[in-house]
Amino acid sequence: MNVNFNNRDPVYLQIVRYFKEKIAIGELEPGEEIPSRRELANRMKINPNTAQRAYKEMEEQGLIYTERNHPSKITTDTKTLGKVREELIIEAVDMFVTSIRSINVPVEELLDLVRVKYTANDDKEA
Amino acid sequence: MIEVKAVEKKFGRKKILKGVSFTANKGEITCLIGINGVGKTTILNAIMALTPINKGQILIDGKRLDKTTFEKITFIPDVITMLPQMTIAEAMEFMNDFYTCWNQERATELLEFFRLNLSDRIASLSKGNTAKVNLLLGLALDVDYVLMDEPFSGIDMFSREEIANVFTSHLIENRGVIITTHEVGDIEHLIDKVVLLDDGIVTKEFSAEEARENEGKSVIDVMREVYKR
Repeated sequence: MNVNFNNRDPVYLQIVRYFKEKIAIGELEPGEEIPSRRELANRMKINPNTAQRAYKEMEEQGLIYTERNHPSKITTDTKTLGKVREELIIEAVDMFVTSIRSINVPVEELLDLVRVKYTANDDKEA
Repeated sequence: MIEVKAVEKKFGRKKILKGVSFTANKGEITCLIGINGVGKTTILNAIMALTPINKGQILIDGKRLDKTTFEKITFIPDVITMLPQMTIAEAMEFMNDFYTCWNQERATELLEFFRLNLSDRIASLSKGNTAKVNLLLGLALDVDYVLMDEPFSGIDMFSREEIANVFTSHLIENRGVIITTHEVGDIEHLIDKVVLLDDGIVTKEFSAEEARENEGKSVIDVMREVYKR
């Protein structure tokens, strides 16, 4: 569990995002237990208050749930989990679109380039 | 809660603190930041009643300082106050004799945490290890508040990391901490609250997480703005 925090986004949101990424790629499974707040703070080298806040946020978003006297778990609600992946993808595409738009590339050219670059990376990793 | 209210302090004719006010909550880490000579250590000394103040008031949990306060609050200065010929074990024994709130179990835990040897003499320790012993002696007290003066200064990167790790552990949890430092980068993600001092007054008091959330600014961004450097 290692996160490189940036200094300008709230740390708790960066933690929520980290969990969302792990959920989206299936590294955290539905119903899986997650570390206690104290453990998370220790592992991620953050303030326990911040860990608490991140968990509260995730609870509010329905990503995790806590039963009395048990460790918190990832939600089993498939709808919420599906939304996480979608949300991350849209967010990343939005960011890409904003940065590329200023260069005025025709969309066809752009899509071809994206396809080439995206799959080239796949080959390398494989 | 530690309340520092309009505290003024003069050294001779030189006014160091010109009405400093801020609060530090229990369960939070409050960081005092300011250039050298701005009076950070003087504030900590004043909270511990180590130096008399000329004006103002300091309250701990709503009460003025008295002799019982010192079982509630501890000060970890930037130099070790134990005799150099003492071993770490002897220093721990000394603290145990002196304070009723000494927690031997926690002391042993800290000893392991920092990988220190009981039989080492204080005089023979490296600067980093001296700082760690100093922290050990302070943190092993069952107190609600911990004041730390420059725990990172002149210490190597790995030891700094180890010391920073203390802040994320149960060793600090639920206590109120006031820390002074120049190495903001080491603890930027760990602190709850920042108090910026300049020219004897508090120029800004803010929550680190709120600055990031509402303004998209890091602690260092805010410092640059306030100090205009």
